[in-house]
Amino acid sequence: MFKRTSAIARKFDLQGSVIYLGFIAIFLFFAITLADDGFLTTRNLSNIVLQTAPATIMAIGLVFVLSAGEIDLSFGSIVAVSALAAAVVMQEHSMLFGILAGLGAGLAIGWINGVMVAYLRLPSFLVTLATMGLFAGVARSMTDLRSIPVLSDTFTGFFGSGSFFGIPSLVLWTLAAVIVGHLVYRESRFGAHVIATGDNARAAQVSGIKVPRLRLAVLMISGGCAGLAGLLYAGRLQAAKYTLGESDLMTVIAAVIVGGTALNGGKGSVIGALVGSLLMGMLNNGLILMGLSVSDQMIVRGLIILLAVAISLRDTTRA
Amino acid sequence: MSIVNLLRAASLSALFITGGAYAQTVGPQGETATPTADISVPDDKVEGLKAGGHRAALLWHDQSDFVNAVTAGASDEFARLGIEVVATTSAGFDAAKQRSDIETAMAKKPDIILSLPLDPVTSAAAFEEAKAQGVKLVFLSNLPKDYKHGSDYAAIVTDDLFQMGKQAADALAKAMGSKGTVGWVYHDADYYVTNQRDNAFKSTIENDYPEMKIVAEQGISDPARAEEIANAMLLKNPDIGGIFVTWAGPAEGVLAALRANGNKTTKVVTLDLSEPVALDMVRGGNVTAIVADEAYELGRAMAATGALALIGEETPPFIVAPAVTATADNVSEAWHQSLHVDAPKSVMQAGK
Repeated sequence: MFKRTSAIARKFDLQGSVIYLGFIAIFLFFAITLADDGFLTTRNLSNIVLQTAPATIMAIGLVFVLSAGEIDLSFGSIVAVSALAAAVVMQEHSMLFGILAGLGAGLAIGWINGVMVAYLRLPSFLVTLATMGLFAGVARSMTDLRSIPVLSDTFTGFFGSGSFFGIPSLVLWTLAAVIVGHLVYRESRFGAHVIATGDNARAAQVSGIKVPRLRLAVLMISGGCAGLAGLLYAGRLQAAKYTLGESDLMTVIAAVIVGGTALNGGKGSVIGALVGSLLMGMLNNGLILMGLSVSDQMIVRGLIILLAVAISLRDTTRA
Repeated sequence: MSIVNLLRAASLSALFITGGAYAQTVGPQGETATPTADISVPDDKVEGLKAGGHRAALLWHDQSDFVNAVTAGASDEFARLGIEVVATTSAGFDAAKQRSDIETAMAKKPDIILSLPLDPVTSAAAFEEAKAQGVKLVFLSNLPKDYKHGSDYAAIVTDDLFQMGKQAADALAKAMGSKGTVGWVYHDADYYVTNQRDNAFKSTIENDYPEMKIVAEQGISDPARAEEIANAMLLKNPDIGGIFVTWAGPAEGVLAALRANGNKTTKVVTLDLSEPVALDMVRGGNVTAIVADEAYELGRAMAATGALALIGEETPPFIVAPAVTATADNVSEAWHQSLHVDAPKSVMQAGK
C-alpha cells in the first residue's frame, strides 16, 4: 500500500512537471523559429504576460474551486458585470467607489453561487451554468450593450497601462495574485481544507472541516478573482463592455487543467495555473507571429492543448 | 451570409447618419462616399512599393465568408504591390482579444494595418500604439472614437449600403412590373448596416415607384422567428405582391412560410448571398433577386488605400464598395464578383 502511494506521488510529480517541460519546449520552438519575427523582444514577451494577466487571475480563482471539487462556469460573465459596474460607477463617483463596485459585484455573484451550492446543495455545474447565462444577460442590459469609457487616468494606470518602478502594473497584479494564491493554497490551513474537501468531502466533514462554508468561500474567491480580472480589463481597454471575459471560459479552464489541477478535485497548483495561462497566451502570440491563417491558428492551438492534456491524463490513469 | 457579418459595423449607428434622409451612403462626419473604383495605386508607384519591403497585418473582428473575401481581395492587392502580409487574426467579437491581437501583430512591425475596430470606445485605446508609431490604419466600416482622418487613419471603407437597399427595391419593382403591394421585413435593432440598407429599400419604393405600396411592415430581431412573422403577414395580406427581407437568414424562414402556404406568386428580394436562397432563385421559386456587396473589391480597396497612404498620397476619408444584384441569370458571375469564389455546386447545377 505504502509503495503504491509513493508511486502515485512520483507520478503526480511527473505529471506536474509536464506543463513546465511543455512550456519550455514550446518557448524554445517559437524562440528558434520566430527569432527574426520579434518573438524574443522584451516588448513581445511582456505583451504575453500583460495579455494573459486577467486570465491568470481568473485561473487562480478556478484552482480553488476545482480543488474543492466544485466548478465555476460563471466567472466570464462576472468579469463583464464587474468591469461594467466599475465603469458605470466611475462616471459619477471616485475611482475608489468604482473599484469597490467592481470587486463587490464579483464577490456578490460568487456569494450567490456559493449559497446555492453550499446551503441549497445544488450542483455547482448547474448553478454556475445558470448564473453564467443570467449575468451575461445582466451585463448586456446594464448599459444596453453600450461600451462605457473609463476616463480616470489613475484607474487605467493602476489596473491597466501604468507601471511602478518600471514594472507594468498588470505584471505586478499577476505576481501579487500568484504569490497570495500560492501561499493560501499551499501554506494555509484553509488551502489544506480545500484540498481535503475536494479529495473526499465526507471525510473532510467528519474531520471537522466546515464544508459548506468552505464551498461558499471558494466560489467567492472565484467571484472576487473574476471581479479583479474585470477591473484589469477595464483598465487595459480604458473601457468596459459586455463581451469582456466572455471568450475566456474555455481558455482559463484549459490553462488550469493543463497546469495540473484535477477537474474532479483534491489536487491543484496555482503556479501551474500561471504557467498554463502563459502557455495559452504564448501559443496565441507565437501562432499569429508565424503568419498562420486564423483557421490554422485554431487547429494548431487545439492540437497542442490536446497533446498537453493527453500527456497529463495518461500519467494519471497509469498511476 | 449570417447576421454575424451584419454585426460587423454594429456600433456605426453612433457615427453615421442613418438612411432615409440621404439618397446615398454617407460617412461619419457626413463625408461624401468615394467609390472603390476610384482607388488604385498608380503603375509608376508599384516598383517603388515593391522595393520598400513593406509589411501589412489584417486584424479582423471575426471569421466569415465575408471576411474571407475581404482578406482575399486585400492579400491579392498586397501581393501585387510586393507588400508582405505578416499577420492575420480574428478577435471573435472580443474587444480584449482584438487589443491583444494588435499588440502581438505590432511585434512584426507592420507598415499598414487593415482592421474592423470592434467598438469605437474600446478600440480608441487599442489602436493608440499603432497610431503613435505611424502605422497606416485602414478601417472597415467602423471608426475608433475621436480619430482624425489623415493624421490618425487613412480611410474607412465600407459597403455602399444605400445602393444595396436601392438595388433590392429596383429588382423587386422589375419583377412586379413596378406595381402592387409590398411587405417590408426589416431588422428591428439599432444596427447601422441593416438599418441603412432597410431604409434605402423603403425610401426607394416610396419615392421611385408610385404604383407600389408598402402595405405591411414587420420588424425582426430573431431570424429564427422569420417564418411565423411571414405567416402572420401572409394571413393579413394573402395577395401581397412582394416581400423584402432584411438579410438572407430570415429570408429562408420567409420562404418556408410561402412554401407552406402554397404561395408561388409572391416575389422575394433579400440581401447577402446564401446557398438556400440562391437555390430557390435559380429553381424559379419566389426569390427574384439577391443583392450582395463586393467584399473582394472592398478588400482590394482597403489594401490599395493603405499603400497609397504609405507613399504619402492623399486618401479619401470614406470609401464604399459597390453592390451587385444577383438574379437567376447572372448568379454565377455575381457570386464571383461578390465573394471571389465559385457559386456553390448546388446552385450551379440547378441553374443549368
